[in-house]
Amino acid sequence: MTLLLKAWGYYARVSKRWPVIETLVPFLPLIAIWWTVAELQIFPPAFFPGPAEVAQSFWTLLYKGILTAYLYDSVVRLAVGAAAGIALGIPLAILIGLNWRAHLALWPILLFFQAIGDIAWLPILLIWFGFGLTTMTFVIVYTVLFPVVLNTVLGVRSVPIELQRAAASLGASRWRILTEVILPGAMPNIITGLRNGLGYGWRALIAAEIIVGTSGIGFMMFDARRAGSVVEIVVGMIVLGVLWYIVDNWILAPLERATGERWGLVTK
Amino acid sequence: MRSLTIRDLSKTYFDAYAGSHVDAVRGVSLEVTQGEFVSLVGPSGCGKTTILNMIAGFIPCSGGEIRLDGRAIHGPGPDRGVVFQSFALFPWKTVLDNVGFGPKMRGVPKAERDRTAREYLELVGLAHAADRYPNELSGGMQQRVGVARALANNPEVLLMDEPFASVDAQTRMTLQEELTRIWQERRPTIIFITHDVSEAVFLANRVIVLSKGQILDEVDIALPRPRVWDKLHEDAAFKSLSGKVLQLVRSA
Amino acid sequence: MRPEGRLKSIAYFFAPLLALLVLWQATITVFDVNPRVFPGISAVWHAAVTSIADGTLIQHIGASLTRVAVGTVIGIAISVPLGMAMGVLPAVATFLTPLMRFFSVLAGIAWIPIATLWFGYGFGAITFVIFNAVFFVVAYNAMLGVSTIPMRLRYAAASLGAGPWRTLTEVLLPGALPNIVTGIRTGLGFAWRGLIAAEMIATNVGLGYMLFMARDFYRTEVIVMGMIVIGLLWLLLDRLLLAPLERATVERWGMVERT
Repeated sequence: MTLLLKAWGYYARVSKRWPVIETLVPFLPLIAIWWTVAELQIFPPAFFPGPAEVAQSFWTLLYKGILTAYLYDSVVRLAVGAAAGIALGIPLAILIGLNWRAHLALWPILLFFQAIGDIAWLPILLIWFGFGLTTMTFVIVYTVLFPVVLNTVLGVRSVPIELQRAAASLGASRWRILTEVILPGAMPNIITGLRNGLGYGWRALIAAEIIVGTSGIGFMMFDARRAGSVVEIVVGMIVLGVLWYIVDNWILAPLERATGERWGLVTK
Repeated sequence: MRSLTIRDLSKTYFDAYAGSHVDAVRGVSLEVTQGEFVSLVGPSGCGKTTILNMIAGFIPCSGGEIRLDGRAIHGPGPDRGVVFQSFALFPWKTVLDNVGFGPKMRGVPKAERDRTAREYLELVGLAHAADRYPNELSGGMQQRVGVARALANNPEVLLMDEPFASVDAQTRMTLQEELTRIWQERRPTIIFITHDVSEAVFLANRVIVLSKGQILDEVDIALPRPRVWDKLHEDAAFKSLSGKVLQLVRSA
Repeated sequence: MRPEGRLKSIAYFFAPLLALLVLWQATITVFDVNPRVFPGISAVWHAAVTSIADGTLIQHIGASLTRVAVGTVIGIAISVPLGMAMGVLPAVATFLTPLMRFFSVLAGIAWIPIATLWFGYGFGAITFVIFNAVFFVVAYNAMLGVSTIPMRLRYAAASLGAGPWRTLTEVLLPGALPNIVTGIRTGLGFAWRGLIAAEMIATNVGLGYMLFMARDFYRTEVIVMGMIVIGLLWLLLDRLLLAPLERATVERWGMVERT
């Protein structure tokens, strides 16, 4: 018992110093279970490959350059979509957040278009733009836009009026109040919106790549499915999971914490 | 005569981060008789909350024993009611259901436990707030609910862990006066943890001063009741007792 | 709210949408838009009336909602007990957190290829996608919910005489409920999108399929009608069921949402 406690204490100490250990170690038992289940052939190997085959396939795809090329395509699409979504969304949100007429006129429309959802746009986009980059970019921008706008509006409207008055009485112009008070005050919400938007946008990208598909990780997975190659599907899923985990866990979540918690602001 | 007997109690923590053992409580012995009001006072880190947690059964003791009415205690139980510093009210239950929680656990029918709960809410002056949720109440009101909840379960001992530390000064004085009134009316056995010397002296029959996990000394408080701040503020006996306890705490 | 006030706020909500309809028809008329690019209101209305009359719309909606209902119910039924069990010991929950996060970011659409391989095209694959979109997100949130209940609440219940079963029903379940409800709302959001995507790929009935088939024949009026139906169904689901549930727990109890 004491030995177990000591081991746990050691693990707690080490993982406190290197958080990456805390992230990676829990996957070891999972991979062990996966390996055992695959070795015992509880499911047919054509449906349920083991870690060794997946690693092998990962290496082959990487070596041939397919994986890197597709990964690059997917990441660029997501980045472009996110950047455009933010560039459109934040000014729109500031307008809606600060102007009650704009809010009255646009809020219901926003809610309705958000409800339609990105993927439902695919068929008509295919008619308009064909199977291509425009269709995919549209879907991602659309997906990222709404969470960013809705959250930013919440953020802008939650900046206390006292802060704006304080800035004004210190001599800030309207523009300076916007850049120095309202935007920083809304920042935690903007980041939350971005995080949600990218979470949805990333899923929309996979769907678009499967349906529109000419390249990208989603396309690779569905191409593998057509060929009946379950190994490559699993490689695709793991790559997606790891990629998104890195983006979300090591970029977006710390960013959210850095603004929201550091400043002691409530993001709701 | 029911009583709480603590013999040679000790607690050793294993600190996983430091990788070493820490002695939080060392050889504490204490006898509390029925209807007594005892305060445990000492600076932070003196082990007073650890002792209370062991009596409550939240954490196991490393050595010694705790007996209530002759029986050794195992884990938490309804014979020892607890009032927490941070209230620990169930946010998803109304005030009435919070106070009626103990009787509900004993299988008391709804109508009867509601009646009991209302009676205790009356006692703490919160009858009007029965249907509200805890987050709709001020800190002082929340702690009144906490006291009512613990009392409504008819515990043999009431354990109070710095219950008034997180309310404002005026409310704290009111709550202290109410607690002495309730104690006089009902005579529950109370063990009261605090780091506030005047609070300990104001409330208790006996003040026990702790230091570094051990009992340093104890002081009998033979002040007359009812005790109210307006009178005691200028009372010479209160001042000298407070001064005595304060000296002990500061020498710790 | 006073009746007039309520009526007024409803009017304010629908006026912009009405304006949008007017703008839509005006654009179609003024610029003489080709119906193969974008339909007029009357064409969409006609498409709606026909597809309701011949029963096909109801059939597609029925198929989609059945899949959502089955996948969600199974997902919640398994994930809530499992997630709560994982959250009871804080150390276990901390250990499992990276795993749960990994699988909840992967949940939903990314499983479509392997789901169709495992279950073939049809009901099974689509329901599985919905199931796992709900499952991982709800399990993660249930675990988070239980493990973030302050220890003192469990202590309080124990010292008032609650045994393990009573602690579960009176403390752990209500304490984790706000997180569980939030998880269900998020998970259903992913599931709904996964449904539409999966139906475009892997079936021959359902709203996604209806949209994707209409594309083959350039029937833009059916596509737009389908999009509106999808939007309305989600609004109804979210506003009438999920949002009030979340408000009732998170806001009434004054519990801050924990992400």
